[in-house]
Amino acid sequence: MIFSSLLFLFAFLPVTLALYYLIPGRRARNWVLFVLSLIFYGWGEPVYILVMLASITEAWGFGFLIAKHREGNKRLARTWMTVSLLCNLAALLFFKYANFFIDNLRLIPLLSERLSPIEGLTLPIGISFYTFQIMSYTIDLYRGETDVQRNYVAFGAYVTLFPQLIAGPIVRYRDVDDQLTDRRENLPLFSSGVRRFLIGLGKKVLIGDACSRVYEYAKGTAQFHPTAAAAWMTVIFYTLHIYYDFSGYSDMAIGLGRMFGFRFLENFNYPYISSSITEFWRRWHMSLGTWFKEYVYIPLGGNRAGRLKQYRNIAVVWFLTGFWHGASWNYVLWGVYFGVILMLEKTFLLKALDRIPRIFRHLYALFLIGVGWILFSFTDMAAGWQCFRSLFGFGTEAFATPTVWYEFLHALPLLLIAALGATPLPKRIWDTLCRCDWTAEGALDEKGREIPVKDAPLGTRGRVFGVLTAAGCFGILLLSTAYLVDSTFSPFLYFIF
Amino acid sequence: MKRICNLLTAVLFAAFLFVCGAAFVLLPDQGFSAEENRVLAQFPAFTWGRLADGSFSSGINDYFADQFPVRDLFVGIKGVSETVLLRGENNGVLLGKDGQLAVRRFRVYKSRLVQTDDMDYYYENTVKRNVEAIRQYAETNGMETVVVLPPRTVDVCADAFSYPGEITESLHGAFSELEDTGYIDLLPLFREKYGAGEYVYYRGDHHWTALGAYYAYREIMTAFGMEADILPRESFSLEEVPDFYGTTWSRAGYKFVGPDVLTIPTTGHEDELETTCLSIQAVKGEDGKQRRELLPYKTFDGWLVRDYLTEKDKYGAFLDGTHLVQTVFSKTGERERLLVIKDSFANTLVPYLSAHFDLVIVNLAEGEEDASRYAEQFGTTRALIVYNWENMITNINPAGLR
Repeated sequence: MIFSSLLFLFAFLPVTLALYYLIPGRRARNWVLFVLSLIFYGWGEPVYILVMLASITEAWGFGFLIAKHREGNKRLARTWMTVSLLCNLAALLFFKYANFFIDNLRLIPLLSERLSPIEGLTLPIGISFYTFQIMSYTIDLYRGETDVQRNYVAFGAYVTLFPQLIAGPIVRYRDVDDQLTDRRENLPLFSSGVRRFLIGLGKKVLIGDACSRVYEYAKGTAQFHPTAAAAWMTVIFYTLHIYYDFSGYSDMAIGLGRMFGFRFLENFNYPYISSSITEFWRRWHMSLGTWFKEYVYIPLGGNRAGRLKQYRNIAVVWFLTGFWHGASWNYVLWGVYFGVILMLEKTFLLKALDRIPRIFRHLYALFLIGVGWILFSFTDMAAGWQCFRSLFGFGTEAFATPTVWYEFLHALPLLLIAALGATPLPKRIWDTLCRCDWTAEGALDEKGREIPVKDAPLGTRGRVFGVLTAAGCFGILLLSTAYLVDSTFSPFLYFIF
Repeated sequence: MKRICNLLTAVLFAAFLFVCGAAFVLLPDQGFSAEENRVLAQFPAFTWGRLADGSFSSGINDYFADQFPVRDLFVGIKGVSETVLLRGENNGVLLGKDGQLAVRRFRVYKSRLVQTDDMDYYYENTVKRNVEAIRQYAETNGMETVVVLPPRTVDVCADAFSYPGEITESLHGAFSELEDTGYIDLLPLFREKYGAGEYVYYRGDHHWTALGAYYAYREIMTAFGMEADILPRESFSLEEVPDFYGTTWSRAGYKFVGPDVLTIPTTGHEDELETTCLSIQAVKGEDGKQRRELLPYKTFDGWLVRDYLTEKDKYGAFLDGTHLVQTVFSKTGERERLLVIKDSFANTLVPYLSAHFDLVIVNLAEGEEDASRYAEQFGTTRALIVYNWENMITNINPAGLR
C-alpha cells in the first residue's frame, strides 16, 4: 500500500487511528501498530510478510546473544553480530541482487549455458530500507550504544512501523528505542503531524506527479523528434519530480509518525539550494547518508587513516550507495559518478568554487545533480547517453519543435511553483506571517534532540494565519483527494468508434 | 489560540477521512458508470489463493477507487484546479475558446503490441502502412471508391486553441498520398466553416455534427459524380436534443463547460428503411456439419434508436451504437448498394446517404477488416471509406483491410 492512495487515506488510516486511540496502554498500542503495519506491508504481496518476520525474529533473537557477550567475550559477541548481519543481508542479496549477479555471470561464455535467472523473483517492497534499519539495531547493540529489546512486539513495531516502512527515512534503532516503550501522544504533536503529512501529500500528489507527467511527455517525444528543449525538460522535470516524490514521502512518514507519538529525524533539507555536491549529499536523503557514514565509512577508518585510505573509503561508500538504489549498472554508475565528484571536490574543487560568484556555484551543483538524474532515471544507458547528448544539441532535429515549446510554456507555472517550493523561502514567509512554525512540534535537530518550541504570543495576524493554516491544510487534502480520484477515473470512451 | 488551531486541524483532517470512509461503506455500490462508459469494479471474491497471490488486494484497490463517493465532484475540482494553474488542458483535453474542447493526446500505436502512453506525436510508419493499405484497397476492389478521412477536432477547430498546427500539417501531408484514389481532403473546408462560426464539430464530443456531416455528404456525392442528386439542406429537418455530454467532455473533467446539442437530420421517410445488425454465426446444416453464416440478430425500422436520447450516450442513437456489420435497406424496393467501411463518424452520414443508397456498413474501427466478403455477398457497386484521423494514428486496422 502507498500513502498516496485512496485506500490508505480513507480506509487504512482512519481504521488505524481509531484502533490506536481507542485502545489504551503502550503494549496494546504497539500491538496495534505491529499488526496493522504487517497488513499494510503485506497488502500487495502477502507472502513477503514471512520474509520480513524471519528477518525480525532473527535479529531479535541474536540480539540476546550479542548483548549477553558484549561485555565479557567481545569476540563471541562479534561472531554473533556477524552471523546476524549475514542472515539479514542474505535476504536482501537474494531478493534484490541474485538475478543481477546471474545475468552478469551469464556474460561469461562458459557460464551462460549453466546458469539461468531465478523466475518469479520480485523485490519485496521496502526490503532495502528495513534491512538497513534492522542492521542498525544489531550493530549498535554490539557497540553498546543501545540496549537489548526484550519485547518482540516493540521490536517488530520498530521494523514494520508503516510510516517509514516503504521509503524511509531509515530510522536508526537507537533514535527511537526510548519512544518504543515510552512516548507521549498529544494534540500539538498530532496536529503538527497532520500538517506535515498533508504538506508531504501535496508535494507528492499535486506537484511531484504533475512534474512526472511533463517528464514522461518530454522523454516520450524524443523517440519521435529528438530536440534539445525536450532533453532539458526531461532533466529539469525529473529533477523536480524525484525531489517532490521522495521528500514528500518522507514528510508524510514524519507526519504520520507524529500522529502516533513518534519523532523521526529529518531526511531532506532543501537539497537543491546546495552550492556543491558535498553540500547536496548533506541535504539529500540524509538518513541514508548517515547510515553509510556510521556503519561503513567510519568503521573503514573514515578520514583518519590517511588520504589514500580515505579515498578508498569514499569509493566503497559510493559504490554501495549506488548499488543500494537498484540492482542495475546505471545505479552503480550513478553512485560512482558522485563518488568521483566528491573526491574531486575534496581535493581541489571546493577551494576553486569558493572563488567564483555564488550563482555559478549553484548552477554548477544543479547541473551535476541533473546529469546524475539522467544516469539514475535511464536504466537503458544508451537512451540516457542520447538524452545527455541532446542537451547540447547533438543528434537532435532542432532546438525545439512547436509542440514541445507549447508544452513547455504550459508547464511553466508548474515549473515556477515547483522551483520556488524547493527553496526554504515559502516556509520562511509563511512562518513569519504566522508568527510561529506550525510544524515545529516534534522536530528534532541533527543529533536527534528535541527542539523546544517557542511559545511566543501569536497576535492578531498570527491568529488569522493560524486559522488560514488549518484551512490551507484542509484545502491540500481536498485537492489531493481530487487528483487521486481523477487518476483512477479512466473513461472507456472509444467503444463507439 | 494555538490549541484552537491545533484542534481545528486535527478535527478537519480526521472528519474528512472518516466521513469519506463512512460514505464509502454506507453508500450503495454503483454498477455502471455512464460518465466513463464502463462497468465499475465490484467487491472481489475472496479465496485464500487469491489472497496469497495478491489478486484479492489489488481487487480491493480497484473496488475502492471505482466506488469512491462523489467521484464526479472530485474530478470537477481537479478540472478547475488545472485551469487555475493555466495548464490549458486536463487529462489530455485542450480547453479552447467558447468552451471548445479537443483531445490533444492519444494512445498511439507502434504495432498491435506496442502503444505509448498519451502522446501527441504519432508513429509515421503506422500512418504510412494504413494509408498504403487504403490506397491499395481502393485501387483493387473493383468498385468506384471514395475515401473520406474526417480530421480530429484539434485539426478542425485550431482557431480555438493556441496549440501548434505542426502535427495537423504533417498528418495532412501524409494523407495527400491518397489524392489519386478518390480521397476527399476535408480539412480546408471544415476549417473555413468552423472559422465562419458554423457548428460543424461538437464542442464536447469528438464527432462532427449533422451540419458537418451534411457538408461531407455533399463532397462525397460530388466525388461519386452524383452532384445532380444532392439534396438541399432544407430537405432535412434538424431535430435538436439538448444536454449532450460527449466523450471529450467526459474525459476532460471540465465540469464548468456546458453541454452540446445533439443534432439529428431527418427526412420524414425513415420508416421506409430498415436496419439489420448481422454477425457470423455457427449453424448446423441439414447434413449435420457446422457452417458459418452471416445471420441477422437485430432489426429495427429506420436507423434511429430513440432510447439513447434520454441517456448519456446520445450519439448511440445513430444506428444503435456499435455493431460489426449492419445493413440499412429500403423496404420498398431495391436501390444501388453502397459499401461503407467506417468508424463512428459515418453514423451521422447514414441519414443522408440512405436517401440514395442501400447501405452495407462494415465497422473497420471495431476490427472487421474483411470488407470484400460483404461486397460480394450483397453485390455492392460503390464503396466509401470513412475513417477519422485519430483512428489512423491510434490503430492499425486499415492495414488489414481487404
